[in-house]
Amino acid sequence: MASSLLRHLTAPIIDNNPITLQILGICSALAVTTSLSTALTMSAALVTVLAGASTAISLIRRHLPSSIRLVVQITIIASLVIVADQVLRAFAFEMSQRLSIFVGLIVTNCVVLGRAEAFAMRNPVGPSLLDALGNGLGYSAVLLLIAAIREPLGSGSVFGVPVLPLASEGGWFQPLGFMLLAPSAFVLIGLLIWIIRTLRPEQVEVNDYPFQGTDGGARR
Amino acid sequence: MTRPVWDANRLTLALAAGAAIPLAARIAETGAALVPALGLALALALVWQAVFSRARCRPMAWDGVVTALVFVLLVPDGVPLWQQALSLSFGIVLGSLIFGGRGRGFLNPVVVSLSFLLISFQGIPDAVAGTPVLVAAGVSGALLLALGLVSWRIVTGFALAAGLLALSRPGGIADLSSATLLISLVFLIADPVAAACTNTGRWLHGALSGALLILFATGTEAIIGLDPVISAAFLASLFAPLIDQGVIWRNTRLRARRQIRGGHHG
Repeated sequence: MASSLLRHLTAPIIDNNPITLQILGICSALAVTTSLSTALTMSAALVTVLAGASTAISLIRRHLPSSIRLVVQITIIASLVIVADQVLRAFAFEMSQRLSIFVGLIVTNCVVLGRAEAFAMRNPVGPSLLDALGNGLGYSAVLLLIAAIREPLGSGSVFGVPVLPLASEGGWFQPLGFMLLAPSAFVLIGLLIWIIRTLRPEQVEVNDYPFQGTDGGARR
Repeated sequence: MTRPVWDANRLTLALAAGAAIPLAARIAETGAALVPALGLALALALVWQAVFSRARCRPMAWDGVVTALVFVLLVPDGVPLWQQALSLSFGIVLGSLIFGGRGRGFLNPVVVSLSFLLISFQGIPDAVAGTPVLVAAGVSGALLLALGLVSWRIVTGFALAAGLLALSRPGGIADLSSATLLISLVFLIADPVAAACTNTGRWLHGALSGALLILFATGTEAIIGLDPVISAAFLASLFAPLIDQGVIWRNTRLRARRQIRGGHHG
């Protein structure tokens, strides 16, 4: 029993990762991964909101008429997001400026509503909380991994601390401007999905449009 | 009865020969400085193709040779070799090989490589090639046109749009006389993999590339350089499938209408 409970926590980290398998939350993953510190802050904010929202929605799941459930879910998520945003503004103003609207946009982050709708509405509080934490950690792991590639290659630093001597300041490292642009995260997430699906072929989706050979037979 | 004249290897051979003419002129112009870059590009292209053909259990494809030759032709002088190697690898792998190789993707790997180079690194100088390279590129373009490997519709559409719009520029049509532009038109914009593949679509694709080129070159004074050419080729190739789809939709609608009319009369 304990192991199946724990599975809610560990499964979303690789096997059912919200970004690389469910392809949710891509927008913020592109936007905040130019540096590790923004990625870490965003991850913390998302984990907090996701855990709070899933717990709250799971608590009231039996009292929630299904016709208004989305409204209530969004209201709960939005309230938590506002709290998280205000806390950031109060205690880490500079960071909240750098994250600009992306903390506020957690409201529309598909991971949060997706877990509320798909899991917290039908499961008790304990598993819901674990599922939320697991998905939050899966999302954070991808964000931090992408940021750990983009920040050193794009600006020669890690957590804002210069580690590679920049060519513009007399060093040897020529930063890759491409890494500071959103498409680089797209490419990196694509490569990550490729690696994961090569290692775990069961994640590969069914081919909707198989190649029709000249013999008329469909091939994969 | 008639066997197809062009298979993949013959196509590669013809295109490589076409690219070799301006390349020879370029080497004659710059001297041996281009030889290490050429060797590196050829080696990289073939290594990546060998890796992917091995991983996918397919016969070795040689079209990387053309990619390497065109890349070396277009890359500006003075770009460090490691930057060239990185950009070319990026373009070949992510622009072509991950889709399954030439003919299975929708982008030209050279366009992807050069976009990566121009976006990633600051202060890439503009490519300057002299008149001999321009003439040689014209010769090879004419040969490939005569062989039917370059679509005359794309070239004409491009020439019309770019020529008309270039009249608004201070230098007029003379601004278009750049070897970079001509080589890109023949090998990148008119590349059948990246361009539209319906006849009407080819006209539109050529015209779109030409218009985009002049748009991107607005504000630059001299002869049109690498940056606007590559941006135009990249953006136009992204629109090529949409152009084709539009042409096909229109065609089906026209045919359906003809059917209905035919039904009434007959």
